[in-house]
Amino acid sequence: MNTRILALVGDCYGAQGGIARYNQDLFEALAEDGAEILIVPRLGDAAGLALPARVQQHPPVFGRLMFSVASLSAAWRHRPVDVVFCGHVFMAPLAWALSRLFGARYWLQAHGIDILSLGRGLVRRAIEAADLATTVSRATRKNLLAQADIAPERVRVLPNTVRGMFAPGPPSEALRARLQLGAGPVLLTVGRLAASERYKGHEQTFAALPALRAEFPGLIHLVVGDGDDRGRLEKRALELAGDPAAVRFLGYVPEADLPDLYRLADLFVMPSSHEGFGIVYLEAAACGLRVVGGAGGGSGDAIPDGRVGVAVDPGDGEALIAAIRRSLGEGGADQAAIEPYRRPHFAAAATKLLARLRTGPHRMRDAA
Amino acid sequence: MCGIAGIYAYLDVAPSVDRVELGRMNVRMAPRGPDGSGDWLSPDGRVGFTHRRLAIIDLSERGAQPMHSADGALTITFNGEIYNYRELKAELEAKGRVFRSDSDTEVLLQLYEERGAAMVEALRGMFAFGLWDSRQRRLVLARDPLGIKPLYYADDGWTLRFASQAKALLAGGAVSRDPDPAGIVGFHLLGSVPEPFTVWQGIRAVPAGATMVVDATGPNAPRQYYSVARSLGRRAEGAKADTSQARATLSAALHDSVRHHLVSDVPVAVFLSAGLDSGALLGTMAELGARDTLAVTLAFEEFRGAALDEAPLAAEVAAHYGARHVVRTVDRREFERDLPAIFDAMDLPTIDGINTWFVAKAAHEAGIKVALSGLGADECFGGYPSFVDVPRSVHLLRPFGVLPGLGALARRVMSAAIAAGIGVHPKAAGLLQYGSSWAGAYLLRRSVYMPWELDDLLDPALLEEGLRRLAPLSRIAAELQAGRPLGDFDRVATLETSLYMRNQLLRDADWAGMAHSIEIRVPYVDPFFLAALPPGDVLAAVNAKQAVADIPVPPLPAASRNRPKTGFVTPVGRWLREASGAAEDVTFSAASRAWALRIGQAFA
Repeated sequence: MNTRILALVGDCYGAQGGIARYNQDLFEALAEDGAEILIVPRLGDAAGLALPARVQQHPPVFGRLMFSVASLSAAWRHRPVDVVFCGHVFMAPLAWALSRLFGARYWLQAHGIDILSLGRGLVRRAIEAADLATTVSRATRKNLLAQADIAPERVRVLPNTVRGMFAPGPPSEALRARLQLGAGPVLLTVGRLAASERYKGHEQTFAALPALRAEFPGLIHLVVGDGDDRGRLEKRALELAGDPAAVRFLGYVPEADLPDLYRLADLFVMPSSHEGFGIVYLEAAACGLRVVGGAGGGSGDAIPDGRVGVAVDPGDGEALIAAIRRSLGEGGADQAAIEPYRRPHFAAAATKLLARLRTGPHRMRDAA
Repeated sequence: MCGIAGIYAYLDVAPSVDRVELGRMNVRMAPRGPDGSGDWLSPDGRVGFTHRRLAIIDLSERGAQPMHSADGALTITFNGEIYNYRELKAELEAKGRVFRSDSDTEVLLQLYEERGAAMVEALRGMFAFGLWDSRQRRLVLARDPLGIKPLYYADDGWTLRFASQAKALLAGGAVSRDPDPAGIVGFHLLGSVPEPFTVWQGIRAVPAGATMVVDATGPNAPRQYYSVARSLGRRAEGAKADTSQARATLSAALHDSVRHHLVSDVPVAVFLSAGLDSGALLGTMAELGARDTLAVTLAFEEFRGAALDEAPLAAEVAAHYGARHVVRTVDRREFERDLPAIFDAMDLPTIDGINTWFVAKAAHEAGIKVALSGLGADECFGGYPSFVDVPRSVHLLRPFGVLPGLGALARRVMSAAIAAGIGVHPKAAGLLQYGSSWAGAYLLRRSVYMPWELDDLLDPALLEEGLRRLAPLSRIAAELQAGRPLGDFDRVATLETSLYMRNQLLRDADWAGMAHSIEIRVPYVDPFFLAALPPGDVLAAVNAKQAVADIPVPPLPAASRNRPKTGFVTPVGRWLREASGAAEDVTFSAASRAWALRIGQAFA
């Protein structure tokens, strides 16, 4: 019989963002393998969307109490429930309770920044009760293990997958002409320009530009993304780079247009110190663009080794300059290193984890 | 008997095995195996093994490792000895299996083909191995029932690494050195780091008596195939309390164990102290036909001519059984000279192991590769004071355990009094609080510091975190789960065997012995031997710890029976104290406290 999964998530279909995308990728992979999945989201409406076979999504329920009620009734309708999937650690107590109530196994997904500071109490105990916990990166796994007393064997890593639209291709001459990029080389950064996300390291890159432009006079830094910090960053770019031609802010670019930008650029640069996973590094590299990222957070997982790029200490300006200089001469990212992040590998890993969860010890039942 | 290590990049996104990293792990273990070195990388580059060889059985190149099955589907890197490998080989040959070597390693490969990972249950010996099964694409890690051979692993969520030594994992360069509060607190409590913790968060021990399967999803939870408590429980069940046969049973069991532990293609020596346990080993060896055995005894310059000097009595026993006797005298200068090397070889912090370091050093100088040791006899025959103290404490103090809070209150009052200068060991303060439960009484007996004393030594956040994860009392109590009630003797034997012996004595014997390329064999540490002994209450009734003297024919000389048990009396205690800068005129326990601090600093 197919595995029946009740999935409690922040958002999934009908929502934007990395976690929604990850949930979609995961549920599609599991449903393709035969699982019957009912999703209960807090945000994002799937009404009118064509969902994959065997996947249904409940209308969004934002309020905490109503979400619990909706989850309970959804679980009742979806029974027998084999697995309760929990997409956010703060829903862990609810997922734990439902899994006990319905005799289901309990799968907890922990994303990057949401487990940084668990206190004592219920949430932590609910995390520790998980039959299987997955994280997107090794760093998040380590962080989780350092804070919760859970057997390390139960905490597995299921990295983000990179979608097929991100693939190498010829650079668009039309786009190049439209953007008036000149001789280049072109450095590219893609990320939200939010005051809350200053860790992405735009300013460190701006500060590296004078030294780099002394060596590569045509070098241009393209900044993609928008946000409440943009005005300040534009000023800082002028101050630090010293030349209005050095940095170009392109604002928000729809996702569909990103591959062409990646194919156009010579190097992806984002010395971020706190990426949960760093999916942009991977998407850039999947388009053939070499990457200079920042060490810290989960970035090491999206830049697995020198075939893709290098992660530098975001606080070390000289190292950043040296890494950019060196990387510009190293050609594109090796697609063999990106292959394991492609969908078939992700789907295989996800279905194996589900099989392991279903055949492993049933902690709820064993404890009872 | 060797050093092993391996890497399995189990997740597709993980970079393939780095041969250079494997090489660094191998080099860190060089003293474990000076006779050979080999590595192997799977054709797809996802698995790599390395091996340092100390050649003891089948000295030829056919015994070299990593070793493959005839069809190449299985590959093993193995550390240890399988004492019943000839019996197992004969069984397999009777089933039509063809062998290409005389090594015990090949028996493991063929036995796995026959029985899968459950084959560990048939093995008599000490072992740790990694076995790659390319058909099922899985790595099997296994460790012997009592934990004689070490095996550590580091799993970062992409790649699993394993090695005989935690320090070899670190030497590879890819494993995090972040400290583990549970291991650090455990060391300060007990003087050794309790399994499965190490002092590094990223490194854990494969539990003794467990196998662990690593597949494409990573390591699965370890599967426990042996438990001391269950084994002693079974032993107590079948037999009736018949003391008349007990001595004969004891004698047969030891003869059988020693005979198995003599399986070797190189000479087997013995570490001989003035005690009965090692003397009984030498006597039994002689009775079984071992000729011209080398017996190595450690002596200390400071004790020359004193009652504490073990050498004269050991010489008498050696002569009694026709052994060649080597007495190796150690002085303080040598201790101080070796100290940096001792710290380097010490795989995890410990307050012991120094004696083993020197006796193994002496054996190595004498050209020896293998030696029997009396380690473990105190655990199975009830040789420690804990066999009396712990049950007495539990029975006497049980009424206090019933009143919650009374013990804790008494402890606070006592602590204050001790701090104010009454001449009582600080641990005494916890008697009422801890002494009424088995786990608590045992902790009180074996601990260097008690939990409430660590406030002064360790960072409060680290201490809280470490104590929470370590949960010492429930961890100790868990060892007693036998599925049936155990008698007093068996309870203490279980705790001493699965905690003190495993985490302290056996781990120390491994690093201190292997640092000198010496394989230490322990006939008293053997599940087959334990199972063949009479039940615990019978062992206590016949005073087994004295009765071992009569096992060999001829029995041990009278002088060795009359020697009062001195326990751990060596000047090492004083050297440690002085090396760690503690005040003069303190007890050994206090010296071990000062030493614990010094070691803790060396690993910080």
